[in-house]
Amino acid sequence: MTERTADPRFEHEIEGWADTRRKIRQSKMVIAGVTLLGVFAVLTFIHPVLQATIWSDRPAVYRPETGHDPTISHPSGPTLDHILGTDPLGRDVLSLMTYGLRPTFLVAVATALAAGVVGLVAGASSAFFRGRYDRLMTHISDAFVLLPPPLIFLIASKRGLMGPFELGLLYGLFFGLGPAAIVVRSRALSVMEKPFIDAARSVGGGPRWIITHHVVPHVIPHVAVVVLAGVVGALVTQGFVEFLGIAEYRYGLGNLVYNALTYQAVFGSGVAWSALMAGALGISLLAASFYMISSGLREVTDPRRASRRI
Amino acid sequence: MARFVARRVLWALVTLALVVTIAFFAVNLLLPYDFAVGIGQRPRAIEQVRETLGLDRPLFVQWLDYMWHFVRGDLGESYDGDRVSSIVLNVLPVTVAIFAVGGIVAYLLGEWIGRLVAWSRRRFLSAATSVASVLLFAAFPPFLVFLLTHFGTDWLFEVRSWFGLTVKPYAPVPAGPLLNVLAIGLVAAFVGGILLRSWARKHGRRALGFVAVPVGILAFIASLLALGVWADAIDLMLWPSAVMATLALILIAFGESMLVMRAGVTAEMTEDYVFTGRAKALPERDIRDKHVAPNAVLPAISRLITSVPYLLTGLIIIERELNLNGLASLFFSAIESGNVPIIIGILVVVGLIGLVLRIVLDVVQATVDPRIRIEGEVA
Repeated sequence: MTERTADPRFEHEIEGWADTRRKIRQSKMVIAGVTLLGVFAVLTFIHPVLQATIWSDRPAVYRPETGHDPTISHPSGPTLDHILGTDPLGRDVLSLMTYGLRPTFLVAVATALAAGVVGLVAGASSAFFRGRYDRLMTHISDAFVLLPPPLIFLIASKRGLMGPFELGLLYGLFFGLGPAAIVVRSRALSVMEKPFIDAARSVGGGPRWIITHHVVPHVIPHVAVVVLAGVVGALVTQGFVEFLGIAEYRYGLGNLVYNALTYQAVFGSGVAWSALMAGALGISLLAASFYMISSGLREVTDPRRASRRI
Repeated sequence: MARFVARRVLWALVTLALVVTIAFFAVNLLLPYDFAVGIGQRPRAIEQVRETLGLDRPLFVQWLDYMWHFVRGDLGESYDGDRVSSIVLNVLPVTVAIFAVGGIVAYLLGEWIGRLVAWSRRRFLSAATSVASVLLFAAFPPFLVFLLTHFGTDWLFEVRSWFGLTVKPYAPVPAGPLLNVLAIGLVAAFVGGILLRSWARKHGRRALGFVAVPVGILAFIASLLALGVWADAIDLMLWPSAVMATLALILIAFGESMLVMRAGVTAEMTEDYVFTGRAKALPERDIRDKHVAPNAVLPAISRLITSVPYLLTGLIIIERELNLNGLASLFFSAIESGNVPIIIGILVVVGLIGLVLRIVLDVVQATVDPRIRIEGEVA
C-alpha cells in the first residue's frame, strides 16, 4: 500500500490509510493477536523441521499418529525427551499438536477467504446498486444470519467427503452471505454518501471502478473485523468435528482432546493433562488470536472510540 | 407504532420463508445420503421406499411440497413416519429452559461486570477482563464441560445434599409436564424480574432494582411450594447435567456481552452529559446507572440477540457432551441416520427462535428510540 499512497494519482483516494496503520500498530490487542498467530504459524510449519533434526534419532517414536515411546509409562508429563509429554497411547504430544494444527490452519484460511470475498461482493454490490437488488440481498442476509454456519458445518462433515478446506469454504460462504454481508453493506452505504463518490461519478467513473477503487478500500478494515471474528466459530466447530471423530483424518487437535478424555476413562489412569491442554488450548488460543486481532481492529476502525485505549 | 410492528412482522415472514428454503436446499444437497438405502437391500425395495417417501421427485417439486406444508404450520414427516413438529417440541423444553436461564444470567453478569470495569478505569481490571472474555469466547466447549464436571461435581452434589437430594449420574432429564411447567416458569420468573428491575430503576428505587431478579426467582419458588411439587421440582432444577450445561453456557455467552457493555460505557463516559452531571455534583453512581448505562445497554442486548443462533449451536455441543435429551440428541441422531426432515426442522426452529427474539428486540428498540420507528431502519 505504501507505493500507492505515495503515487499522487491515488493521494486522495485512500487517505486515512497511513493514520489507520499507525493506530493498528499501537493497538495492544492487535499486536498480541498477531504475535500469538505468528507463534501458531511457526508451530504449524515446524513439524517436518523437527522430524528432520531433533527427532531424527528415533523417528518412529515421534511419528504423529503411530509413534510410541516404549521406554516410559504413559500418559507422562513434560520431560526433556517429550517437551509436552505423551498422550495415553504413548504418542508425543508436541508432534501430535504441531501436526494437528495443519487442518486447523486450513479451515481458518479457507473460512477467512470465502467469508471475506463473498461478504465483500454481496455487501458492496447491494450498497452500490440499491433498489430491488439491495432489498433482495438484505432479505437473504437476514435469513443467513439466522442459520448458524456451525450447524451446517456439522451436517456437511458427517458425509465424510469434504476435507477441512472445503468445509472452511462452506462455513465462509454461509458466514459471508450473513453477518459479513450485513456489516459490509452498512459500511459501504455510508461510504456511498461521501462527496468523493459523486466526484468520481462526475469525471466518468464506472460502477466497477468506483466499487474497486473507492468503496472496497474503505470497507476492507470492517470486513477484516467481522471475518476474523467469524473464523473463531469455524475453528471451534472444526475442533468439535474432530472430537466427534467424523472428520476424514484422525490427527486433529480435537482428536487429541478426545483421546485424552476417552483413554483416561478406559485405562483408569489419571487425567492426561498435557494432551488435554495441548489440544484444547491449541484450538482456543489460535481462535483467540483471530478474535483479538478482530476486536483490536474494531477499536481502531470505530471513529467513536478512535482515540481510546481498549 | 402498529404500522411499525406490522411492517416488522411482514418482513419477518419473508425472512422465515427464505430461512426454510435455504435450510431445505442446504440439507438436501449436503446430505444426499439416501435414507432408503439403509432400509432395503435390493434395488427394487429401495426404489419402493423412495417412492413412498416421495424422494423420487425432482428436488424443486419436493421443495414446493415442503413449503405448502410449512405455510400451514406443518414441518412435515420424518422418514420414520413421525411428525417432525411433535418430535422437536418433545425435546425443546430442556434446551429452551437451559438456554433462557443461561443466556439471561450471562447477560446480567456481563452487563454488571462490564459497567463496573469500564467505570473504574483500572488498566489491570480492563486487561484481565479482556483476557478472560477472549479466552471464554474462544473456549472449546468439550474442554469447558470437562473442567466443570471434573472440578465441580463434588461441589454440585454437596449443594444437592443440602436439599436432601441423592447423587445422580450425568443423565438425561426426565421429560414430562413438570419439566414444561418449570421451563415456562423459570423464563417467566427471570423476564418478570428484569422488567421489575428496569421499572424500579426508572423510578429511582435502587434497593428494589437490586433485588428484583432474586425476587422474581423467589416468587417462582414460592409458587412451586404452593403447588406442592417442590420436591420433584428442586430435583429437576438441580439435575446435574442441566446445571452443568447452564454453567457452561453462561461461561460461553458472558464474555461477549461484557466486552460490548464495557466498550459502550467507555465510549459514553466522555460525552458532555457526563460532564454536566458531574458539574451538578450528581453522585457518580447515579451518573453511571441512570445516564450512562441505559445508553450502553441497547448495543449489548442487540449483540446478544444477534448471536442467539450461535449460542444455541454452542449449547447443542454442550448438551451432547453432557448426554442431555435436548435438541442435541435429536440433531446428532438425525445426522447419524440421514433423517433429512428432522434436520431441516431443527434448523428452522433455531432460526425461528432467533427471528422471534429479533422482532421483540426491534419493537423494544423502537419504543425506546423514536428515530428507529420513524426511519424504519433495522438497527
